[in-house]
Amino acid sequence: MRLDPRARLLLILLITTLAVLAKDIAYLAIVFFAALAVNAMLKINIIGAAKRMRHFIWLILFIAIVQSLTVKGGTALLSVGKINFLTTKGIGFAAEFVLRMGIILLAGLIAASSDGREMTDGLLKLGMPYELAFMSAIALRFLPVFRDEFVARINAMAMRGIDIKRLSLPKKLKVYGYLILPAVSGCVIKSEELARSMSARGFGAEKKRTMLRALKLTWTDWLVMIIAVLLTAAYLVFMYTYGNLFVL
Amino acid sequence: MKIELNNLTFSYKKRSAPVLEGVGAVFEQGKRYALTGRNGSGKTTLANLILGLLKPQNGNILINGEDAAKMSAALRAKKIGYLFQNPDLQLFAPTVMEELAFPFELTGTLTEEKQDELQRMLTIFHLNGMEERFPLTMSGGEKQRLALATVMSRHAEFLILDEPTSAIDRECRSFLTNFINGFAGGALVITHDEELIASLDSPHLLKLEGGRVHEA
Ligand SMILES: Nc1ncnc2c1ncn2[C@@H]1O[C@H](COP(=O)(O)OP(=O)(O)O)[C@@H](O)[C@H]1O
Ligand SMILES: [Mg+2]
Repeated sequence: MRLDPRARLLLILLITTLAVLAKDIAYLAIVFFAALAVNAMLKINIIGAAKRMRHFIWLILFIAIVQSLTVKGGTALLSVGKINFLTTKGIGFAAEFVLRMGIILLAGLIAASSDGREMTDGLLKLGMPYELAFMSAIALRFLPVFRDEFVARINAMAMRGIDIKRLSLPKKLKVYGYLILPAVSGCVIKSEELARSMSARGFGAEKKRTMLRALKLTWTDWLVMIIAVLLTAAYLVFMYTYGNLFVL
Repeated sequence: MKIELNNLTFSYKKRSAPVLEGVGAVFEQGKRYALTGRNGSGKTTLANLILGLLKPQNGNILINGEDAAKMSAALRAKKIGYLFQNPDLQLFAPTVMEELAFPFELTGTLTEEKQDELQRMLTIFHLNGMEERFPLTMSGGEKQRLALATVMSRHAEFLILDEPTSAIDRECRSFLTNFINGFAGGALVITHDEELIASLDSPHLLKLEGGRVHEA
């Protein structure tokens, strides 16, 4: 289905808002499946994307496992002496974390499947200042680059003779630190370069901008947006009326 | 050390035209190879295949006569060192010293001899006095020398260098060519740089064209 960037943005906004507001695992699961459905509707190749992001997904699962082992409280499922290792609360926290990250990744896929230029135009039409819209488009544009670089770093790590799978837990954490540090500082360095080259080309010098392509909302776009808003409203009313569905 | 490529065929997507089609080549100990080819002709792809980071759809790679497909990436990397086109992707640690030491620390092999050896690496690769610098903010040439030091600290027998002169200045070039010419193992230099090729010690000239490697 072809969808106007503004309709896509609305879906992303609703999905991520619900991911934050959802009260428990059951509510999160609903949002997760809704996000899956939107991806399917837009014919996004979820399995392909999951394969490409498998290292990132492993990282999320890994953090979840660490979380479930370290959160105290609830009923103990596994204890050695006086120390509880696995508690119901820990597992609940971990499951919530995995669902939330999953929802955010799915929302990210919706964004990444759109044309960056069209997305900027959509944001502009919504009245967002050009600088902000431009920044968001750049962030999207760089996503695949970051993914490729992350894969290259994992390979480079293996070529240093480090087999992440075979390391102990604290050492694994250390390796993930090594993978994240250069990725983050690389971001900062890249954005500084970009800022410099943009001001060199006179970005922001002209106040009034003209557009080459015009966007128009179709009735499908309107229908999708209205249904999405209605479903979200129903979801929120239900959640705030009935409260938690799932108590640990 | 001998690397043989037999009839290698590779494409990134199943249905798209292959980047490499029936590539054959032999790389031997103590020899230098210069591989040229247009942008996008598949030079980096070929390097990634040799390193086992990509798998060929057809053909095989023999390392000292052994089928490389049966070796782990870590085992291959013990024999073959790779210098990325962008050294930023192979530097991880917050300091130069830690960059050299961390793989050995993590695998519990940082002995006193190893530490002495790493100290000597600093001297060989002109990194003395930079032990506490943050690798990612160093100059192109310094990053490259550090990346080389990390590769050599694993005693690589064969080196693959992907466009090694694309981000370094003149002074660093002479270090690089001296290093490659003095290296006892084999080296495959992927480059467009005529000047670099001219300064290599009797290199075998290869060209990647139309998905195949030709003697140039
Ligand atoms: N990860 C990738 N996925 C799909 N296509 C790729 C990928 N990497 C490279 N290619 C394509 O394969 C071809 C060869 O690329 P590459 O090996 O990087 O060439 P070179 O290093 O000679 O410039 C190019 O057409 C490039 O667009
Ligand atoms: Mg290349």
